[in-house]
Amino acid sequence: MRTVRLTVYRFDPTSDERPRYASYEVPYRSGMTVLDSLLYVKEKLDHTLAIRYSCRMGICGSCGMTVNGLPRLACYTQVKEVGWRIKVEPLKNHPLVRDLVTDFTDFFRKYKSMRPWLIRTDAEEQENPTKQYTQSDAELERYIQFSYCISCGLCYAACPVVTALPEFPGPQALASLYRFLADTRDHGRRERLRIVDEAVGLWRCHFAGSCSQVCPKGVDPALAIQLLRREAMRG
Amino acid sequence: MRERNVMLVHYVSGIGILVFGAVHLFTVFFTKPLGETIWETTMLFEGHQFAVLEVYRNALLATSLWFLLLFTTIHALNGLRVIITELFPVPVVRTASKYVLFALGVFLMVYGTRTIIIAHMIG
Ligand code: SF4
Ligand code: FES
Repeated sequence: MRTVRLTVYRFDPTSDERPRYASYEVPYRSGMTVLDSLLYVKEKLDHTLAIRYSCRMGICGSCGMTVNGLPRLACYTQVKEVGWRIKVEPLKNHPLVRDLVTDFTDFFRKYKSMRPWLIRTDAEEQENPTKQYTQSDAELERYIQFSYCISCGLCYAACPVVTALPEFPGPQALASLYRFLADTRDHGRRERLRIVDEAVGLWRCHFAGSCSQVCPKGVDPALAIQLLRREAMRG
Repeated sequence: MRERNVMLVHYVSGIGILVFGAVHLFTVFFTKPLGETIWETTMLFEGHQFAVLEVYRNALLATSLWFLLLFTTIHALNGLRVIITELFPVPVVRTASKYVLFALGVFLMVYGTRTIIIAHMIG
């Protein structure tokens, strides 16, 4: 039977002095994902391994990790796709909790600071609408791609600017801001632009494009950032 | 000043450098706007210690040099500010660097303008 050799990053900051890599041999079965192979390790070989996952189908965005050097969703990555020797490490740019689990507190704080919801100035109308609110296909096209984000944080882990400048909001937060700015139902244009038009904001993106390379949902945050810059220039 | 405006000035100054840099190179290398003799004395330094000053005699060229100085100063110093912002995530360093770079910019412009005016007058 074919086996997969997993090399897994292990570190518990509360008890270990330094990180180490543990190796495991996992029997391969057709259709096996990296998450499946890690769950095999956890169930059969070493139950102390810490991993985070939920949906197992690329929807919840909680199983992000570095697989053979690239940020990926473990449940979305076929073993066959990455090879029989797989190195699994935690996501970069997110503080480590334990083993393959990282802390998303800062990531979500930045996301929330973008006010990722529709801002309306007509509270009364929202409570008691007097008409139907429609959007044309063209209006929907402006933001639909950016609304596919599942907040998995892979783009954030791949962003070299976040590595160098931890205050930088990151691709996910900026793309989510653009998603609402481009929505014709939103009234928060000025407020949103003010949030990112800062010394360490929108303009610090170097357009490396690695965020768009690793996004499993085809969101293309690098494009969103360029479009956001155009909007910021227009004022 | 909002970052948007700073970056707008940065991009415009970059284009300015391209335009006035091209004008500068073009006039110096590809044309002889001040006549054969001046071209030669300027470029070849045939025994003229201050031959390069001849370029400044032409008011238009001297003005284009001033614009080149202005755009280069703005673009370079703002570029430095961005580098410092990214290298040092410490607010006090960033604020201090802004003032230091602004003072440096004023100094460069005053000194450069003075040099161009003097060169124009004695060129
Ligand atoms: S933009 Fe893509 S990579 Fe980034 S958090 Fe959203 S889904 Fe994940
Ligand atoms: S477990 Fe939900 S995206 Fe992987």
